[in-house]
Amino acid sequence: MSRSTSKLLGKVRFPHRFPLIIACALGLSALLQTVSVGALTAEVQPARIPITFGYHGATLTVSGESAPTDDIVVKISTEPTDTHMKRKTKVGGVVWMKKGDIEFKGLPLAYMLYSTADLGRILEPADLNASGLGYEALGAKATMEDEEGKAVDHYWFDEFIKLKEKECLYSIHEGTVVRRHGATGNQFQVVVDWPFQAQPHNYIVEVLAVRDGHVVERASTRVLVEQAGLVATLSGMATKHAGLYGLMAVIVALVAGLGVGAVFKKGGGSH
Amino acid sequence: MYMYLPIALTSVNYLLVIGLGLVVGLLSGLFGVGGGFLMTPLLMMIGIPPTIAAATDANQIVAASSSGMFAHWRLGNVDFKMGLLLLIGGFVGGAAGVHLIKLLRATGGADFLIKITYVVMLGGVGSFMFVESLLALHKNKGAAKSAVAAKQKKEEKQSGFLRSLPMQMHFEKSGVTHSGLVPLALGVFVGVLAAIMGVGGGFLMVPVMIYMLRMPMHVVVGTSLFQILFTCVEVTFLQAYSNRTVDFILALLLLVGSVFGAQIGTVLGRKLHGDQLKILLAILVLAVTVKIVLELVMEPSLHLAYAGGH
Repeated sequence: MSRSTSKLLGKVRFPHRFPLIIACALGLSALLQTVSVGALTAEVQPARIPITFGYHGATLTVSGESAPTDDIVVKISTEPTDTHMKRKTKVGGVVWMKKGDIEFKGLPLAYMLYSTADLGRILEPADLNASGLGYEALGAKATMEDEEGKAVDHYWFDEFIKLKEKECLYSIHEGTVVRRHGATGNQFQVVVDWPFQAQPHNYIVEVLAVRDGHVVERASTRVLVEQAGLVATLSGMATKHAGLYGLMAVIVALVAGLGVGAVFKKGGGSH
Repeated sequence: MYMYLPIALTSVNYLLVIGLGLVVGLLSGLFGVGGGFLMTPLLMMIGIPPTIAAATDANQIVAASSSGMFAHWRLGNVDFKMGLLLLIGGFVGGAAGVHLIKLLRATGGADFLIKITYVVMLGGVGSFMFVESLLALHKNKGAAKSAVAAKQKKEEKQSGFLRSLPMQMHFEKSGVTHSGLVPLALGVFVGVLAAIMGVGGGFLMVPVMIYMLRMPMHVVVGTSLFQILFTCVEVTFLQAYSNRTVDFILALLLLVGSVFGAQIGTVLGRKLHGDQLKILLAILVLAVTVKIVLELVMEPSLHLAYAGGH
């Protein structure tokens, strides 16, 4: 052993400090392990859903890493927006027609919740409300006004939810997020049946880790739903060049009608 | 199996839409009536918003009527003078109808107007067809004779009124003399209906031409098609331009079905018993009417709807 080395070992006082160093190393190792496992990640596949002619919804997979004991909630929604709707009222005691307006403020266009277990069991009510999880929490944050700006009954919020559920745009699926623990880490995954009724939009996919009734961590990503190809061209044309679109619709119908008429000699249907 | 419609913003089973076109085209070929008055309610039933269903049906009628009109034009069966007056009226009526729909869409009343117009028109036409075919089936000659006599009396009364109107002119091709105001007014009426209901109006125009204007049958069909074609061209363009409610892809799918259906219907029509089929069509028309009436009078499962007809 060289002189300098023995001097160094003498300074370290090996017999007394060794357990402390080991303990620190183990502690640091344990801490690093917790951070790497607990760091919540979120990924969505595919991150872009193109709406083409064959589109009839899609299948999304939301997955990521989480702490082994945490429950997971996945929320897919848009930023809160205002929705203008009509009330169906009985007119003259005979027919039902749209009459009277309601403005729903602060509600997303779409809202889909997925969790590892019942939301009411894994989260405190305050956390549900703070994170906007569940229809009650959504209702608490929203405002609903009639055409005169007066607040309307909560009944209309329930009707709003019923309408959105019918359109497959609002849904809550408890116990659908699956967790896997293994040598490669702790993963979660949920398979989402994306409804074709969902409008083109950049949707927010938010993942929340829940422990002891509270949200302890969040991660988010986005899924872009957009019209593509000829669908996008036609839709853009109908909006931006409505005259040209109308002209095209007429010309194509004329050509098709005359073409089919020529094929069958006797022509199409009459009116 | 599914196709996304860029304007209706929904995905539909294209075989179902082509099938609808085929069935309506078949009826069109069998009975010589337009399928428009059935097509729009059927589209509504499969989830197409009423305003888009009506506008798109007008686009489909452009194709369906163009081939027929062209064939009749080549045979010399189109009274252009009469057709032009009907057309001027149709343009005015069509523009008014499109504007009315635009106003009502803003207030949420467009769907209601479309449905109530259907109830009145389909209910009337369906009942008429049902009674007429029932009489024919029972061969109630006595009743038929008295009905004919009553009809003749009514027609004479109407003719007297029509002759008293100004702007009397002779229509050479049809061999009749009428006030120019009559086809103008009829054109306005049919134009409004075309915009509201998405129909050509042939099911009203043909009997009016025969019984009120006393035009010969071969000229009636050609002239009616001429007027319907151009009215629907105008309605399609204006609906696309003002309301953005024409779904061109949906129209194409319907067209594929209806043109083939019309040809099959024409062949079948020669082989089957007319009156029995006519009564079946009347029942179908009345069933659609009842369905729409029930939708209007029964409490909806949801008391909330999107503004603007969607």
